[in-house]
Amino acid sequence: MTMTGWIPLSLSHDIEAGSSAGAVLNGAEVVVWRDTDGRPHIWEDRCPHRGMKLSFGFVRGDHIACLYHGWEFGETGQCQKIPAHPDLEVPKSICAQTYSVAEAAGMIWVHTPLETTEANTSPSPSAPTSRVAHCVRSLYLDVPLERALAALPAAFGASVKVENSVASINAPLVDLHIGLHPVTDTQCALHITAEGQPDTAVLLDILARAEKLRGSLEAELETAR
Amino acid sequence: MTLPTLYNFDLDDHCYRLRLTASICGVDLDILNINTFPGHDHLAPDYLLKNPLGRVPTLEHDGLILRETAAIQTYIAALSKNKSFVPESLVEQAAMTDWMIFADRDLASASAARATALLDVPGDGPALTATARKMLQIMEDHMTRQRVLGKAFFVANTVTLADLALFPAFALSRDFSIDHDAFPALRRWARQLRTVDGFITMPGIPDYH
Repeated sequence: MTMTGWIPLSLSHDIEAGSSAGAVLNGAEVVVWRDTDGRPHIWEDRCPHRGMKLSFGFVRGDHIACLYHGWEFGETGQCQKIPAHPDLEVPKSICAQTYSVAEAAGMIWVHTPLETTEANTSPSPSAPTSRVAHCVRSLYLDVPLERALAALPAAFGASVKVENSVASINAPLVDLHIGLHPVTDTQCALHITAEGQPDTAVLLDILARAEKLRGSLEAELETAR
Repeated sequence: MTLPTLYNFDLDDHCYRLRLTASICGVDLDILNINTFPGHDHLAPDYLLKNPLGRVPTLEHDGLILRETAAIQTYIAALSKNKSFVPESLVEQAAMTDWMIFADRDLASASAARATALLDVPGDGPALTATARKMLQIMEDHMTRQRVLGKAFFVANTVTLADLALFPAFALSRDFSIDHDAFPALRRWARQLRTVDGFITMPGIPDYH
């Protein structure tokens, strides 16, 4: 499933301030990180020095540092510090590849095709509802996104409406909004949020349905082999 | 009183589990390194007298010899002045034991996948990795539920031996080609565990994060 526009790569609550994680979008490796002030960033997951994944690195203030040699990059992607050469004024040409990022509806989004913030002029992702989004879980599945989408109505017991990379479901106990994230041609992630402040029993029910969904898709894969 | 002796190999995940447990519990160990790779010293006759199974770790203390990692963890916790790592509640103790056995039996796939990838141990790497991934998924599902229930760790809202038993397999998973992308609940848990007093790393687990 080729999708363009804003694509969600993570639930907001899974990228804590001062932390980073890797993510894959249509086979492209990116790092999703939050500075200590809580602002999200999505970049190519590659240090321009030796190609090490920046998602293995660490966040200090508004910089992300590479685990290999500690090169630090600021929010524009430009290298700010090379620890092995503390007195060097770092050339402006040393720059990590940044992408256009947004946070809305309990998720962190990147704009596709992947491009820098300056190049992207489209409006921010629109939230599917004005009610507050409660992050539930990201479910990673070894099936193409189309296959996962087709299984959603049975899994949550209601019909599904897809708009702007979000599947909305008026499930019996709660309204769900699920971010659709194609990882590769054969893998996807569903970033599940619920409207309002669902109670514990409702949340545990969603988690159980999510695990059963994954189980049934895996069983199908096994049969197909 | 003499210190317990840990027969140790720094790159072994089970040995790390015990160094981590001892460090967090504040228990001093006399660490004796056995060169298992590439030296194969775990198969030397003198070592086989201590542990005829021919593997590390082994713990020896005042004539007692322990060979199973979970048992050694329990022994180290018993020597600690800090009793908080073994819950008082029998229900929580049972849950802790459940996860410690999972760490030894089911996460053996992770240890074997890593040994095949790094230490020249024969094995079906892709199959072991696939099984290990399934085991990490079970841990991810559990910690996702724990978060809903307001618990930061596997058994309770504080660290128990179960967390220390499970941590190495996740922290070292990139050694056998499993990235952390698909495990947000485990990432969060690992970050919490890193803040516990006495936390230490091993080669393959970065100090910085």
